[in-house]
Amino acid sequence: MLASIPSATVVGVDGHLVHVEVHVAPGLPAYDLVGLPDASGRESRERVRAAFASSGLEWPLRRITVNLAPAALRKTGSGLDAAIACGVLLASGQLPEHSLRDTGVVGELGLDGSLRRVPGVLAIVACLARHGVRRVVVPAEAAREAALAGSVEVLPAATLTEAVTCLRGEWPWPTAPEADPTQPFVSADGVDLADVRGLAVARTALAASAAGGHHLLLVGPPGAGKTMLARRLPTILAPLDHAHALEVTRVHSAAGLASGDHLVTTPPFRAPHHGASAPALIGGGVSRIRPGEITLASRGVLFLDELGEFAPSVLDALRQPLEDGSVLVCRSGSSVELPAHFVLVACANPCPCGRAPDRCRCSEAHRAKYRNRLSAPLLDRFDLRLYVDQPSPSDPPGPGSAEVRARVAEAVARQRARYTNFPFERNAQLPAPLLGELAPLGSDAAAELHDIALVRRLSGRGTARIHKVARTLADLDGAAAIEAAHIAAASELRSDVL
Amino acid sequence: MKPLPVDEIAAAALAGLPGVGRATLRDLWKNHGSPECALGAVLAGAAGPALRRWADLDDWPERCRPDVVAARLARHRVRVLLPDQADWPIPPDLADAPALLFTRGSAYEALQRPAVAIVGTRAASPHGLADAHELASHATRAGYVVVSGLALGIDAAAHRGALDAGGLTVGVVATGPDVTYPRRHDLLYAAVHRQGLTLGEEGFGAGPLEWRFPVRNRLIAALAAVVVVVEAHERGGALDTATHAVGLGRPLLVVPGSRRNPAASGTNALLRDGATPLLDPTDLLVALERACHTPQRYAISAPIPVSATGSPHAEAASAPQSGPQRSAAARTILAACHGEAATIDELVTRSGLGTAEVSGALRELERVGAVERRHGRIWPR
Repeated sequence: MLASIPSATVVGVDGHLVHVEVHVAPGLPAYDLVGLPDASGRESRERVRAAFASSGLEWPLRRITVNLAPAALRKTGSGLDAAIACGVLLASGQLPEHSLRDTGVVGELGLDGSLRRVPGVLAIVACLARHGVRRVVVPAEAAREAALAGSVEVLPAATLTEAVTCLRGEWPWPTAPEADPTQPFVSADGVDLADVRGLAVARTALAASAAGGHHLLLVGPPGAGKTMLARRLPTILAPLDHAHALEVTRVHSAAGLASGDHLVTTPPFRAPHHGASAPALIGGGVSRIRPGEITLASRGVLFLDELGEFAPSVLDALRQPLEDGSVLVCRSGSSVELPAHFVLVACANPCPCGRAPDRCRCSEAHRAKYRNRLSAPLLDRFDLRLYVDQPSPSDPPGPGSAEVRARVAEAVARQRARYTNFPFERNAQLPAPLLGELAPLGSDAAAELHDIALVRRLSGRGTARIHKVARTLADLDGAAAIEAAHIAAASELRSDVL
Repeated sequence: MKPLPVDEIAAAALAGLPGVGRATLRDLWKNHGSPECALGAVLAGAAGPALRRWADLDDWPERCRPDVVAARLARHRVRVLLPDQADWPIPPDLADAPALLFTRGSAYEALQRPAVAIVGTRAASPHGLADAHELASHATRAGYVVVSGLALGIDAAAHRGALDAGGLTVGVVATGPDVTYPRRHDLLYAAVHRQGLTLGEEGFGAGPLEWRFPVRNRLIAALAAVVVVVEAHERGGALDTATHAVGLGRPLLVVPGSRRNPAASGTNALLRDGATPLLDPTDLLVALERACHTPQRYAISAPIPVSATGSPHAEAASAPQSGPQRSAAARTILAACHGEAATIDELVTRSGLGTAEVSGALRELERVGAVERRHGRIWPR
């Protein structure tokens, strides 16, 4: 008898459909698993057999062949255990023939017959739903996550016995839990923007970055408050909308970062150490391609502290994903496209000793060498570049995170409304040819921008970047039109910092 | 091109031998009368024990071949000056004088005129660079030659000030005559070669080794009638030049700076130790006139009259005042700077204006060059 159960494996951060084919034929008792499983997949045989014994099911003493189709795709992880078990049951007649029609199965088996969750349940269930599967048997503990996928009936089962009983129709399926659409907003480590004194211009830049999705570079001596400021960025980011929240939850679940029980509505904030390698940042791996930090930061913020300490090759690898919002990671075995819609926020010292311009003791050659670590094309990607100087203790504290977050959220909503018919949603992604149409300038503002370009000797691209940032500042102000003051303020947020 | 004098070729050949320094060369000149005789003696193996060591070197007679050395000198248009020549520029009061000088350039009269040395730090503030440029052009217009070290920062600004004013300038280098250091001063070297010359005591191919710079600094002080230090850190070559100036009895003028300016820490320390403060370009011209009280001795051919207003003194006094009408915001911002570098946050706080207004005012001032942005700060000129 032959059975074929749809399931899926995680490739990168997406599910990839796998048909688990089980053939049970007369002959000497044997068990063959083919179709490029990894080590944990090959070990499924022992887990499945023990789970059968623990669940009081009969292991057919015949020749069993399991094929994971498509046979050429490398399968990773143990999420196909449950599908193999159900296939064996179906092929050996222990389950009614039609009990698994249009039904996918996901989960790892314990030796006691329990059904366990695997990373990436959301990605797997979403993939099955996409391929026309109507019902999915999932481990009970991952039912909430599976429910997030929507448009598919979730059949939760805590054990193999429970699944078999319900599939046989001897017992009704337990009701699947409702998807929990929200996650309470958690302020990162209880920090607040009100902790920062002075630095008014830098704080404007931070709000502009959060609202318009502009990449931000802060340069200044140690202790000026660059990192302190950047670390408070998560507290003013606008919550994700449903589609993005789903995407982030899927990615984080596939990477094993989040349980997936809740929809992740807080934009991710990833801060890798400067020792990070290119594959760690971009994504990679040998047999299995794992998402890198830029993918984990997708729809959120990638924060690189001490930018000058990162390997220059690692930084330059960021340039293409910054431009495209995705990265194609290629290995000899496979290639995977990973999402990378992140906002890059970086901090750097002005020179190796970090004390420029005041008490710097670096030689000019040292400073030039340090500057050269950051390539001009990378520096050009930062819409917002500013010098942060030590504030004096008498400087007044600024507005708190809650107040700024509300303004940012309004600005984001305004941009979404404006760009409904376009394939982008933030001012930072506004293509230069559409600037005139989507961010028109009055005659005053246009004259101001022209004047700035003249005095500061800006290139066309530099001018366009100030234009976009001015649009964000206007959105933060709730202004429909960009005024000359917005242009002037935007020009102060992009200086030659190195 | 006329053939090079034999003595110069011989001197260059001997200076090119490894391990031969100015002391050895001076001994050779003394013992053998002339470089030509000295080279002959060395080739014949009759020179002192210091040179014997190099007799084992395979190619050393090859290196000393007069035609090879002459071709090299001609290729780089390098002239060798020797102490017994009439145009030897080093005054006799310098102890440990060089045994020869490699020069390169087109204006040898620069070595016959009274000169001012303008030196300072490589990591200068915009204020310091502007001061060096201004002082150099004032001195140039008064007919003096500007001597400096062709380094980054103050030195380069001083050379450029002299060049821009159409005068002569001498770059005293610590490297060989065929080496450009720092490399990015390629164009500046070329301009100095056109409108003056470079001069140094190191032979062909000598690189920028650390110990060569202090040795070079004594030449800067020796060549000048007055030494000016514009900006210097507490440890640096500029202070070394100042020490040589004091040792040689040259008047030392020092530009005072703000205590907040780290590039002025060394110059302020010099002032504390008794150097003469240079408060105005006129101070420099007065000091120069006093130092060269018998200018006829130097036979100034013709002071270079570039200034349209005539006397450089009058111009120095009147230049900064006149200016175009400025807006109220621009005046407020200039006042808020207090003449020192400030961040935009500080200007916003001090002036009480909005960021956009400050930005507009700054742009107005930037356009006329009244302020400059650097290192994320605004520097008034």
